[in-house]
Amino acid sequence: MIALVDCNSFYASCEQVFRPDLINKPVVVLSNNDGCIIAANKQAKALADIPMFQPVFKIKKLLDDNNVSYFSSNYTLYSDMSRRVMDTLMMFSPRVEEYSIDESFVDLSSMHNANYDTIAHTIKNTVEKNTGIPVGVGIAKTKSLSKLANKYAKKIAANNNVYVVDTEQKRQYLLKNLKVKDIWGIGKKHAIRLQDKNVNTALDFANMPVAWVRKEMTVIGERLWRELNNVPCLELETVTNAKKGIGTAKSFGFKLTEFSLIEEACSFYVAEVADLLRQQQSLASQIEISLETNQHSAIDKQYRNKIILNLDTPTDSTIKLTKVALKGLQQIFKPGYRYKKVGVNLVHLVHKNEVQTNLFYNPHKSESDAITKLMDNLNGKYGKNKIKLATVGNRSKEWALIKEHRSPRFTTQWGELLTIGG
Amino acid sequence: MIELDKHLIKKPENNHRVQRPTQTGFSSPATHYSEPRIDLNEVLVSNSSSTFFIRVIDNSFKENNVLSNDVLIVDKSLSPKIGQLVVATVDDSFKIIKIDSASNTELNIWGVITYIIKPVL
Ligand SMILES: [Mg+2]
Repeated sequence: MIALVDCNSFYASCEQVFRPDLINKPVVVLSNNDGCIIAANKQAKALADIPMFQPVFKIKKLLDDNNVSYFSSNYTLYSDMSRRVMDTLMMFSPRVEEYSIDESFVDLSSMHNANYDTIAHTIKNTVEKNTGIPVGVGIAKTKSLSKLANKYAKKIAANNNVYVVDTEQKRQYLLKNLKVKDIWGIGKKHAIRLQDKNVNTALDFANMPVAWVRKEMTVIGERLWRELNNVPCLELETVTNAKKGIGTAKSFGFKLTEFSLIEEACSFYVAEVADLLRQQQSLASQIEISLETNQHSAIDKQYRNKIILNLDTPTDSTIKLTKVALKGLQQIFKPGYRYKKVGVNLVHLVHKNEVQTNLFYNPHKSESDAITKLMDNLNGKYGKNKIKLATVGNRSKEWALIKEHRSPRFTTQWGELLTIGG
Repeated sequence: MIELDKHLIKKPENNHRVQRPTQTGFSSPATHYSEPRIDLNEVLVSNSSSTFFIRVIDNSFKENNVLSNDVLIVDKSLSPKIGQLVVATVDDSFKIIKIDSASNTELNIWGVITYIIKPVL
């Protein structure tokens, strides 16, 4: 059996763990740059007037009038809380697939003849007690069914955030009570086509002739169909594959015209992605730099461009990557525009141990590698970005994302601990 | 306020770490006896995924020997026994409460205090 454990309103829940005054109150979390609402808890969603994905400045009054608390996204906190949830799940099984920041599949196959209702409730109660994060648990024989069971667990209040598919009767009941569009992996287009054919519930879909499914929805649809019919086809992915590309593209806090400021931001992001690159033991063969104005602005002149640059040899050195990135940035920068965003993308990644040596590749560690390693050591010790290249500068206030309402990084920064007093 | 800051438990700023030099002469007779230095995390944090640190900012809990600038180590996974200190949420805020036989069973316990770190300099 497989359990799908999904955190309830994860970002809002993370904030509420440290704010007892916000228990059972509406909470929303804003996107990078405090642009719009990206997450809302149940209480906030119940206020039907609060539109998701709306620019915040337009609805600030609405939020205040309804006593909705809003937070800038605090991804440092969310990622640590996510790790705490995952670590707690590892108590139940050594095989846990981290599907997203707030969802995990847990392999329960080592528990024979178990009472799965008890297991589901124990998982739910343990995660909630140990981390403060409420979760829903769906248990079934296949990943697709456990995903649906989780959905149903949360949909009906009487389920108490738990649903277990351990009998044929319960499987039928579950599928009958969910729509085709609820099925994990069925796109909008297929959902509409199925509804046109009078296939409305998940059960209708599971009862279609397999030949039809294969013909109309390829092997992917067939696999889903089998999974809903209790035949496991999707393996748990417990080893995370190294990413093929690592990138970041963030908006500036302000529109920028000055090259030197964009240069600082670009250097900062290069250092950030290079750090991730080293963490996964990869080297980049190419770097892509992009620059753009605000495409939604009616008053600004528009410009966007990108450039792909080759590195002499695959590298993970922040120094080498920064040098090439800034050369590229210079080539695509045109004065006279108000820029909104710079993007840095490391592509054609290779694992450190499988670098193809070319004629000019010098396998000996270069000076820049040693400096990068030293910087990593110091930053590990003193905190992120304490040691940086001069090109990063120190004017981040003039370009960095606005996060006016960010909560403290309670669990990762000694200087931002939760406080208690009378 | 300056006093308060002086006693704050902070991460040291001037603690340089240099790469250990490689020994070039005779190999050390201690080679097979060296052990990792004591790490307080291993001693004081038995369940890291459920352990949180909380800084005390005034003396409102002094009857329980908890004073301003103390840092509490709190384990949410534990259930408190009589005589133990807990962090609980009362009227929308965090409080430190000693569990006794008369303690309300409805108490909203956030976590059990396992250690109190006290600055004494
Ligand atoms: Mg969720």
